[in-house]
Amino acid sequence: MLTKFETKSNRVKGLSFHPKRPWILASLHSGVIQLWDYRMGTLIDRFDEHEGPVRGVHFHNSQPLFVSGGDDYKIKVWNYKTHRCLFTLLGHLDYIRTVQFHHENPWIVSASDDQTIRIWNWQSRTCISVLTGHNHYVMCASFHPKEDLVVSASLDQTVRVWDIGALKKKSASPADDLMRFSQMNSDLFGGVDAIVKYVLEGHDRGVNWASFHPTLPLIVSGADDRQVKLWRMNETKAWEVDTLRGHMNNVSSVMFHAKQDIIVSNSEDKSIRVWDATKRTGIQTFRREHDRFWILAVHPEINLLAAGHDNGMIVFKLERERPAFALSGDSLFYAKDRFLRYYEYSTQKDSQVIPIRRPGTPSLNQSPRTLSYSPTENAVLICSDLDGGSYELYIIPKDSVGRSDVVQDAKRGTGGSAVFIARNRFAVLEKSTSQVLVKNLKNEVVKKSSLPIPTDAIFYAGTGNLLCRSEDKVVIFDLQQRLVLGELQTPFVRYVVWSNDMESVALLSKHTIIIASKKLVLQCTLHETIRVKSGAWDDNGVFIYTTLNHIKYCLPNGDSGIIRTLDVPIYITKVSGNTIFCLDRDGKNRAITINATEYIFKLALLRKKYDHVMSMIKNSQLCGQAMIAYLQQKGFPEVALHFVEDERIRFNLALESGNISVAVASATEINEKDHWYRLGVEALRQGNSRIVEFAYQQTKNFERLSFLYLITGNLDKLSKLMKIAEVKNNVMGQFHNALYLGDVKERVKILENAGHLPLAYITASVHGLTDIAERLAIELGDNVPSLPEGKTPSLLMPPSPIMCGGDWPLLRVMKGIFEGGLESANRGAVDEEEEDVEGDWGEGLDKFDVDGMENTDIEAILDGAEAGEEEDDEEGGWGLDLDLPPELDTPKASANARSSTFVTPPQGMPVSQIWSQKSSLAAEQAAAGSFDTAMRLLHRQLGIKNFAPLKSMFLDLFSGSHSYLRAFSSSPVVPLAIERGWSESSSPNVRGPPALVFDFSQLEAKLKSGYKATTAGKLSEALRVFLSILQTIPLVVVESRREVDEVKELVIIVKEYVLGLQLELKRREMKDDPVRQQELAAYFTHCKLQTPHLRLAYFSAMTVCYKSKNMATAAHFARSLLDTNPTIESQARTARQVMQAAERNMTDATTLNYDFRNPFVICGSTYVPIYKGQKDVACPYCTARFVPSQEGNICSVCDLAVIGADASGLLCSASQVR
Amino acid sequence: MASMAGPDHLFNLRNHFYLGAYQAAINNSEIPNLSQEDIVERDCLVHRAYIALGSYQLVISEIDEAAATPLQAVKLLAMYLSSPENKESTISSLREWLADPTVGNNAIIRLIAGTIFMHEEDYNEALKHTHSGGTMDLHALNVQIFIKMHRSDFAEKQLRVMQQIDEDHTLTQLASAWLNLAVGGSKIQEAYLIFQDFSEKYPMTSLILNGKAVCCMHMGNFEEAETLLLEALNKDAKDPETLANLVVCSLHVGKSSSRYLNQLKLSHPEHVLVKRAASAEDNFERALQSFA
Repeated sequence: MLTKFETKSNRVKGLSFHPKRPWILASLHSGVIQLWDYRMGTLIDRFDEHEGPVRGVHFHNSQPLFVSGGDDYKIKVWNYKTHRCLFTLLGHLDYIRTVQFHHENPWIVSASDDQTIRIWNWQSRTCISVLTGHNHYVMCASFHPKEDLVVSASLDQTVRVWDIGALKKKSASPADDLMRFSQMNSDLFGGVDAIVKYVLEGHDRGVNWASFHPTLPLIVSGADDRQVKLWRMNETKAWEVDTLRGHMNNVSSVMFHAKQDIIVSNSEDKSIRVWDATKRTGIQTFRREHDRFWILAVHPEINLLAAGHDNGMIVFKLERERPAFALSGDSLFYAKDRFLRYYEYSTQKDSQVIPIRRPGTPSLNQSPRTLSYSPTENAVLICSDLDGGSYELYIIPKDSVGRSDVVQDAKRGTGGSAVFIARNRFAVLEKSTSQVLVKNLKNEVVKKSSLPIPTDAIFYAGTGNLLCRSEDKVVIFDLQQRLVLGELQTPFVRYVVWSNDMESVALLSKHTIIIASKKLVLQCTLHETIRVKSGAWDDNGVFIYTTLNHIKYCLPNGDSGIIRTLDVPIYITKVSGNTIFCLDRDGKNRAITINATEYIFKLALLRKKYDHVMSMIKNSQLCGQAMIAYLQQKGFPEVALHFVEDERIRFNLALESGNISVAVASATEINEKDHWYRLGVEALRQGNSRIVEFAYQQTKNFERLSFLYLITGNLDKLSKLMKIAEVKNNVMGQFHNALYLGDVKERVKILENAGHLPLAYITASVHGLTDIAERLAIELGDNVPSLPEGKTPSLLMPPSPIMCGGDWPLLRVMKGIFEGGLESANRGAVDEEEEDVEGDWGEGLDKFDVDGMENTDIEAILDGAEAGEEEDDEEGGWGLDLDLPPELDTPKASANARSSTFVTPPQGMPVSQIWSQKSSLAAEQAAAGSFDTAMRLLHRQLGIKNFAPLKSMFLDLFSGSHSYLRAFSSSPVVPLAIERGWSESSSPNVRGPPALVFDFSQLEAKLKSGYKATTAGKLSEALRVFLSILQTIPLVVVESRREVDEVKELVIIVKEYVLGLQLELKRREMKDDPVRQQELAAYFTHCKLQTPHLRLAYFSAMTVCYKSKNMATAAHFARSLLDTNPTIESQARTARQVMQAAERNMTDATTLNYDFRNPFVICGSTYVPIYKGQKDVACPYCTARFVPSQEGNICSVCDLAVIGADASGLLCSASQVR
Repeated sequence: MASMAGPDHLFNLRNHFYLGAYQAAINNSEIPNLSQEDIVERDCLVHRAYIALGSYQLVISEIDEAAATPLQAVKLLAMYLSSPENKESTISSLREWLADPTVGNNAIIRLIAGTIFMHEEDYNEALKHTHSGGTMDLHALNVQIFIKMHRSDFAEKQLRVMQQIDEDHTLTQLASAWLNLAVGGSKIQEAYLIFQDFSEKYPMTSLILNGKAVCCMHMGNFEEAETLLLEALNKDAKDPETLANLVVCSLHVGKSSSRYLNQLKLSHPEHVLVKRAASAEDNFERALQSFA
């Protein structure tokens, strides 16, 4: 049982799940009705109007209503939205036990200790039927979920089924409804609207509960006789099917599970029992120490139950709904029902792989918990809670995606968890000893290793590594080095999700997500108030996860946010771009498309990919206060600037990011004193005196302005300011400015005008303005002030400015990052401003120093690298006291043994020797290095005597027969014989024939290139190619007889070309012998060539003969050419012209040794025709013919064999030998 | 089945060495908190790595008279490989060491002896010192010797001993790949998977790439082998095995092999392939003569 939520309260007597929302109503013995959100675990509301215990409560399935009934004989209908009791239905004369809404009609059924069941219409607020018949308290009554039936249970020891079909008919027409008001009385006294259909007798004591099966004609009941009875009914009767015994006290409540084939009951014996409804056996019992159970409720849609007891209630699930799954590349393996299934992400194809449970096996809490998959071996490890934790290992047959329903005999074992740690190794946790067994695919223990911490679960952590979990921490342990690679304090970790590159890991606890590096260095921690369900990494390193009701993201720095809400929990299996793949609770694969813009944007910011940020700003709809706040908070006010329209916020952001130009624009727009002032402050901070001036001007802050002019040495403006002050009658300002300007006369004048004559006099006399002083003295008369005696005055004169500066050196402002793009977006507005504000103040701002930026980056990387190195060092530094491995002793021990007993075995036979013994093919002998044997074979088979052209091929065959393996360091390299025709099923240690560097397909390719060269007229090139084919064929090996024939054909084809090309080349040498030239050209047409080549031969023969005025012969070639239907029109035209010319003069100028009417072959050496019937000899290999005098010479066509020698024929396949 | 003691400090170093990441082995050899035995083993591994890189003189000059016996043995190997002309004296001093009962049983000395006699193709003598095993290195060497002797049956026995000690040891895996390649057939695939595992677990080395390539060649997939070998050539343009295998591969895919062969002849005139090619040429001439 998995408890999802628990409350403490008074005794809970009634419970009702909300059909859609995560809410449950609990009615208490104290009279209070509580409304809980069991997902958030909060009390939403309480309704306290009943007097005395409330025993029945029920939600309406579509309206915001619920009904309750209590010991105050009242049925109350409530609106939970308005938190009001809408009305009260009165009529029952004793405690009300249960109340229930009808699923369609506006009805309520209630059961009462007054021995009646009543059906109420809550719209007309009247009782429409009273069902009498029970002769004791009616403990429960409920509508059938589909049919017009009511089932009730009573302490009279019976269960009754009532037919309310008539009631339904009556209410079907609204007219009837009106009429019924008059019929009310007859209804009250047992009308005929509801009649008892069946009375089920069998319980020996009072029956506390009865309920219908949601779909089947079944009823289950529980009674004080401690029994649960199962009843079946049909159209005409109902009967007892079976009794479930086990409860030790009164059974309080019993129900069918909404989805599974099970019955759940609870009892005053403080237990909840789960029964198999088909086999009618107990499956599970959950006991509580002190609390008697009173009521059960089943959620109509999802897999949840609730039970009320003496001190509160619990909401629980019977088993986990998370499907076990394992990801492998593009595919997902997962367990559903009793099958292992396979899902391909790219095609979204879902198929069944193998059955993993026999049909009909009890499944409660035995379904797979975790799955681990080894792609190379196609093996699956399935862990379940069976037998207190066990695993099964299945090898998926290759051709499996199997229809077969035969359950494989899996290799099994017990263990807390089991997980693949390498291609063919898996680790099994032995909890009791905190050891890990490493096993191979035969389920044999390969290695045992004790774990560094008491571990209750292990997870994969890269090849050869395990992530071990204990209550409060996880460690990554390298099984080979026996080193702890990393350790992290965590809350109890439930799931571990590695990023695709295995660099980061997400550890999921109930309410926490911890992101750490592969060495378990904490990167961030995230707390969730709602349970975390699943997660997966996207390709950018963002962790996408689900809680019960949200899909959320977590950036590497721990920033998180909601992507969307969820109606039902899902389990993410993979994230690919904008698509989230997940499994739902029914084990169905779903693909959800999300809007990833927000987190991709934040990630880009985080990673400082500003160009990306830029393009996102331009192209996507990113907005909202949250985003602006985020940007501001993260120190990117300049980015936020570009989302904001509101000038005030723009101004603030601009100031924050130091973007003076935007700030000026906004300030102008706003035009408020405060903003100008703040602009001035910021501009001053940056040293942008022109903007400061502008701001002061706008606010008419003359004092600051004059001081600014003083500081910047701008005397012109200072004096202007003095004039303004004069105009404005601002004496103090005027005097200030005069002081700043060092203008004594002006000061005196001001003082004089202001009536401060003594001061004016003193000022004038001190500064030596005697004429003015005298004038003033006259005006003052007697009141001339006396100057202090004996003191040397020093005059207060401002230093004269050396230069009148514009801007000071400006502060560097972090703005360059977004310079290009962002600027341009606002360029328009800013430009206007610039013109207004005179000056070049904008320039300095743009000088952002890119180097500085890069430097920090590089340093960061360097730091990172150093940190990495340090880590490595630390790794080695583990454990100071080293146990000496026992093997150090062994050499000494065994050394004594080594001297006498060992006898070196004799050397085995090298593979090449095996080859040469086995084979009768020359090529294989050559590959084996037995050149002499190869030569002998070739001589015998083909009469070859000239081996020189074959030398390089022999050597290549030999070189290509072995590969080279560097085995142990500094020891000699191992040559390995490469065999031919390898297949997966070849048996080891049985030697196949050697791999050969020449094969038939190569020759075919060469043949094509030879044809090409011929067509292109590169004759000597073509000859070389054809000759090399001809000389390679003796060293080619093929497999089948058919191929042997092809090889033999190839010999003939190639021979014809070699001979023909030799003839043609010879002809071209014979420039000065036209007769011989014609002859050779004529012979060439008798070689068996491809049609295009034959046409060329005819054409050349025709041309040669025509030139030599041998018209008849030329005409013959022209005719032959035309017979081939030449595709090239010019050829055909020339041929026709030759024909026409010849017809006029059908004679030959010279006689040729050529008679085309008489069949002949050409001697390969002397190039003369050997007519039919004349004697000849042949080359035993290439079959070229020769005049008898050539016998014994090396064949001039293939340049290999001896003409006329005896030979057994080409042997190029093992199939010829067999 | 290996029972597990404390952490294994030299694990990474050894792995680097076995898998041919010699420079990485040398670079990562500064490990703190080593026991005296570990330090000697570490130094041996480092110097053997230098030898594997061909830095014989460095090893010879760095190991002085005062160094531990195993190191002296390593120095002997360096001397043997650096000057073939003086190998007689090297071998005779090796024999002296071996005859000395106080040091003759040292695993490293026996390993070096095995290696040197293997170069001498005196397998009998090599096995005399190595057959009893004792360390994974010795067992692995034995596997190789037996493979060279074409006695895969004996090699398999040695391998089984290794598997019993530690089936997942890098040397065990390597040795089983060697043997799989030697016996051929369906085993080639297993060898391939072993190299594949290495390539996933550890940084790529030309040894691993060559291993994979050799497997591909033996499975008839010369194109893939060529790709792997070119990758290896990128890592180390002078690696003799890469060049040798490229020669073979080029022959099979119908490309010219002469450049690789010339390169190999220039940089490693003593390589088996070069020697084999030379002897084959003689062989051809001889066969030709016998025919004439």
